[in-house]
Amino acid sequence: MLDALKDVVRKSSIHVCLINTGGCNGCDIEVVALLSPRYDLEQYGIYVHNNPREADVLLITGAVCEQWKENLQRIYSKAPEPKVVVAIGNCPLTGDVFNQEGSSVYAPVSDFIPVDAEIPGCPPRPAEILAAILAVGPDAIAAKGRQKP
Amino acid sequence: MILPIGPIHPGLKEPVRLKLKTQGEKVISAEIDFGYVHRGIERVMKGKTWQKGIFLSERVCGICSYIHTQTFAETFEKIAGERVPLRAQYLRSLTNELDRIQSHFIANSTYFKAIEHETLFMYMLHLREPVMDAIELLTGNRVNMGWNVVGGVRMDAEEKHLNSIYQIITNLEAEYDKYVEMFEEGPLLGLRSKDVGKMSKKDAIKGRAVGPIGRGSGLKHDVREDHHTYKDEFDWKVIWRKEGDNYARTMNRFDEISESIKIIKQVIENIPPGDVRKKIKIPAGYADWRNEAPRGEVAYMAETNGNLIQNISIRTPSIMNIDVCGKYMLQDVATVADAVATYASVDPCVACTERVIILNEKGEKTEFDGLHKVKYLQ
Ligand code: SF4
Repeated sequence: MLDALKDVVRKSSIHVCLINTGGCNGCDIEVVALLSPRYDLEQYGIYVHNNPREADVLLITGAVCEQWKENLQRIYSKAPEPKVVVAIGNCPLTGDVFNQEGSSVYAPVSDFIPVDAEIPGCPPRPAEILAAILAVGPDAIAAKGRQKP
Repeated sequence: MILPIGPIHPGLKEPVRLKLKTQGEKVISAEIDFGYVHRGIERVMKGKTWQKGIFLSERVCGICSYIHTQTFAETFEKIAGERVPLRAQYLRSLTNELDRIQSHFIANSTYFKAIEHETLFMYMLHLREPVMDAIELLTGNRVNMGWNVVGGVRMDAEEKHLNSIYQIITNLEAEYDKYVEMFEEGPLLGLRSKDVGKMSKKDAIKGRAVGPIGRGSGLKHDVREDHHTYKDEFDWKVIWRKEGDNYARTMNRFDEISESIKIIKQVIENIPPGDVRKKIKIPAGYADWRNEAPRGEVAYMAETNGNLIQNISIRTPSIMNIDVCGKYMLQDVATVADAVATYASVDPCVACTERVIILNEKGEKTEFDGLHKVKYLQ
């Protein structure tokens, strides 16, 4: 009963946590640009507050640096079930330009945590990020919520 | 009590760890910890051709990505002893100033978010979007533009695009003063910002603060003064203030935006016709070059054998600015909220900063303790 109620509520109120695991922060500022009145993320009920303990959607940017090899898994487990992971940019998908001999990145991010949606681009346009969160967010969260862990 | 903030925290936009030593609400001192986004860019660049290096340099930092490519290109042009055609120099300055405007807007918006003034935060982002459109019109992309090459810029700007950019900038100028006044004269905003996070000129010199942070404390230092294009072609002045508090740093950025608008107008009015790119043959050699990024001085030192990059070292402004923030500004701050606001007022760019990890012989992370002890890993 409570779970069903939660699912309904969650559908229209998505809390987002942005985690930069070591990129150039180009993707991060595109997420910040989403807050601007032109895109107005909050009209869709999406709220960016960067607190993993309350997050429904984890946005991952960056190519997984040394420090994040363990911490990423830790932060992922802090987020309450059900949760959705969206990887933004080429960095979490392939490591982008950093993934070369001698660098200290450990992409892709899917080696560390399960990823539900991927948005390629360096960086992707804000509208694409928004579309991806909306496409995967509400339904995936609701669907995941119904299965018991 | 030690209060740790970060690396993922509602008040921070990039992963960094602030360790605040507190006594009640009061912050006595602070320590800033890095290492969350270190990618090893210089290490990767070594042994690559310089044509490839420029794409890596662009991704040192996403907010000021443009100036990194310009500095990279100008370093290699200095090795060759050449200058790019005048039209290319103008176009570079144009993009540089557009980039500075958008970066200052995002810096100030972060500051307003930190002092919880959502209205101005939204206004700043709202003003920023047309500037991003202008950048996209000119270069084809919003953030990582791939617009500079060694020898000029990748493509010429069309007349109609330059006209639209002029229009965007004129509109911005007309609206802009209203918002600056809001901050300049708002009594509550003044209370939150004035006399908070003070840094004296002496401390700024000691800590080698650069950019708007140094200039907010009375250091009249702008590398654009030495840059050949800015020196010879445009009429502009260095903005600086004396107060050295959060208010001064934010106002300094606001005033620099007006100055950038002036430069952009001059560029579009006087842009000469001609080539935008020329062939440059890079010989073996070493050069260094400095430029004014939105956050201060960025320096490149590069050594090449004519084809491969043999050695490269990048120094970004945020490393000094974050350092002075921890050492001088975050001492005896009245509340924790003010400490976070002060940190935001420094406009920290963590992605820029993290290119070095200092290890001891055993491979453990240590403090930096003087250049003579450092040995580079090969
Ligand atoms: S994908 Fe590109 S823009 Fe995004 S963080 Fe990586 S390098 Fe930066």
